[in-house]
Amino acid sequence: MLILKQWRLMIAFPAFLLMMAILISGCKIQYEDLNLTMYQYRDTKNLVKFVYDASLILKKDGLKSLDYFRNNRARFRTPEYYLYIYDIKGTNIFHAGMEHLEGKNLWDVTDKNGKKAVQFIVAALEDRNNPHAWVHYSWWEPGKFYPVPKSSCHFKVRTPEGEELFVGGGIDYPHEEKEFIRIIVDDAAQLIERKGWKALDDISNPVSKYNYRDVRVFAFHQDGELLISPAVADTIFQTNLLDCTDEVGHKPFAKAIKELESQDRVWEVFIAKNRYKREPIKKSLYIRKTMIDGSAIYFAAITDLPEPPY
Amino acid sequence: MAKDGKHYEYSVNQVPPVGHLLVLSFQHVLLLFVSLAFPILFAAQLNETTEFAATLLAFSMIAAGFGSIIQALRLPFIGSGYLCPNVVGPSYFSLSLSAAWAGGIPLMRGMIIVAGLAEMALAPVIEKLKKLFPTYIVGLVMLMIGISIIKPAIASFFGLAFRDDAIKGIDIFVGMFSLFVMVLANVWGKGFVKMYCLLIGMLAGWILALIILPEYWYSLAVVKDYPLFALPVIGPQFSGIKFDFGMILTVSIVAIIGSLKSFGNLLVAQKISEPELTETNFVPIRNGLMADGFSTLLAGLMGGMAVDTSSSNIGVAGATKVVSRWICVCAGVIFLALAFFPKVLTILTMIPKPVLGGALIFAGSFMVCSGLEEMFSEAWNSRKTFVVGISLFFGLSTGFLPGLYARTPDFIQTLFTDPLSTTTIIAIILNQIFNFDIMIENLKNRAGLARARTGI
Repeated sequence: MLILKQWRLMIAFPAFLLMMAILISGCKIQYEDLNLTMYQYRDTKNLVKFVYDASLILKKDGLKSLDYFRNNRARFRTPEYYLYIYDIKGTNIFHAGMEHLEGKNLWDVTDKNGKKAVQFIVAALEDRNNPHAWVHYSWWEPGKFYPVPKSSCHFKVRTPEGEELFVGGGIDYPHEEKEFIRIIVDDAAQLIERKGWKALDDISNPVSKYNYRDVRVFAFHQDGELLISPAVADTIFQTNLLDCTDEVGHKPFAKAIKELESQDRVWEVFIAKNRYKREPIKKSLYIRKTMIDGSAIYFAAITDLPEPPY
Repeated sequence: MAKDGKHYEYSVNQVPPVGHLLVLSFQHVLLLFVSLAFPILFAAQLNETTEFAATLLAFSMIAAGFGSIIQALRLPFIGSGYLCPNVVGPSYFSLSLSAAWAGGIPLMRGMIIVAGLAEMALAPVIEKLKKLFPTYIVGLVMLMIGISIIKPAIASFFGLAFRDDAIKGIDIFVGMFSLFVMVLANVWGKGFVKMYCLLIGMLAGWILALIILPEYWYSLAVVKDYPLFALPVIGPQFSGIKFDFGMILTVSIVAIIGSLKSFGNLLVAQKISEPELTETNFVPIRNGLMADGFSTLLAGLMGGMAVDTSSSNIGVAGATKVVSRWICVCAGVIFLALAFFPKVLTILTMIPKPVLGGALIFAGSFMVCSGLEEMFSEAWNSRKTFVVGISLFFGLSTGFLPGLYARTPDFIQTLFTDPLSTTTIIAIILNQIFNFDIMIENLKNRAGLARARTGI
């Protein structure tokens, strides 16, 4: 009897695993046409799915769906984010968080740092490097009075009536995704290829998209000489990046330049100090190589890496 | 069942029948999967490839599997002979990352080798320190082992992958359901149900998650891309071993803290495996620490991450009254073998985090209560009150207020690291200070007796 029970156990478990394997082989991924693999945080993925779902409603039902959005305002405003819809000229059509903005044109509205958020969004929607049209700026929470950092994603929609609109949603105090710096560094590299040396002025401009929160696109020559400083809006403080070391003596730029001999982009990790934490924190450095007038120019930006949950 | 011990389903030296041995081992293996997040996160933080992550994971699992086998086999001078398997240790995570950034995987390997050697060198010293660990301090260490599980348990229970990320209410429901089933099976179940309470709870939680959370279901789709069997691909990152003398002090401190944790785990393992012992037997604990150090050394030599003894598995052993060391051997073999089966491994790594969190809370509850029971098993006095009270205040503060300690002088930062080691170190020191008068009195009495004997 005992042997019979043991054999049952020995059969039951492989059978369970086999059943799982069969079931799994039939699985399909939801949002198959929405690539979210570049994001690390659940918060970011949730926001993109939230905006994407709304864009599908607008695409399917067209302008009629605006009544649906307006009648279900609470559904499109969560404690984390809210939805908005604009036409391509910057007129707000629907705002789940700030109803009073509906009907107003925000094309020239700037945030506290002088960034024209709506103009950034319209440009981002045309940017092939930026598939979810991410824009970073400063805004305020509905009903509050203090500024908050914000990152928003957007989808352009052509309604059945032929109207060009965009749907968006943003998250306050966003996580710093690696994808965010990948977008602006790749854009900076393309801009210099297109416009030549003049592009450096645009990229170093503090109110351009290449500068947000603590992130800044910087540029340097192969020998480590700075073209745009990673820290200040001037190159008077020259420092050779190839000699720079992190908290454990690692030389991220020197290593990256070596790796960039055989590729045009690279991710590096380095350790930085944080006075509020016992252990040093990890940061990520993305570097993109491009050629101008026969010489190699490197664009880069730095962002935080996600921390383990415990 | 329970042939040689009335309190146990399977006692420490008893070999369960094959079917039970396999399923009980599988139950422990599932809990070991909590730690596999570390090599994956490690590879992600180094921006390494999936292939690198798979190889690191495989090497880490092989080292942990070997470590579990050696720990339980009770060979001469090595292995405690208790059910105390190895996990891929979080203790060395930060240090390994620092080493890998500074000098790549070769330096990480070198530093893990140093840590393993340091742990092995510390093992014989522990045996000499038995007077520092009266029963109530042993109980306190056991309590703190349980408390040290709180962070991974709660973070997993809430389904967190990264700090400060979104939490879903439905995840909490899955975790609660899983934990409830485990407790239900343990408290009201009998025989197999009680013995497999953790496994039943985990499978129930997993099935519930697959039914109500499409996210978990869809994530399983990637399993199709993995082969059933594969050998680790040893990339160029894994060639060579480097040492950095500047890091040796830091490595040694982390090794001491790691040894203290394993010491606590082995103490608990002994208490639940051999409750008949009236005082701690330091020989198996020394041998256990030797095995722990050897496993870490092995991990470094192979190119895996450092390993550690698993507190939660000891908790499960105590809660299910199944303490057979042969389960640890079998779990080690399964864990080791799984390193070569990516498809099965991937399925098992997708056990929902809240389910794993529930399992850790289940195991941690047992550890906490066993510690309290041990601590208050002997007469209490005001000296003990202050030894335990003060050490708990400062020890727990390292967990509650980590930012505060970031601003303290270096020597305080070195001593006040985490709740377990800080509480243990302070309790040992205070126990000596607060009992100083008794020690002097004992010394005088001994000297008096000696004089009386010699007639001087």
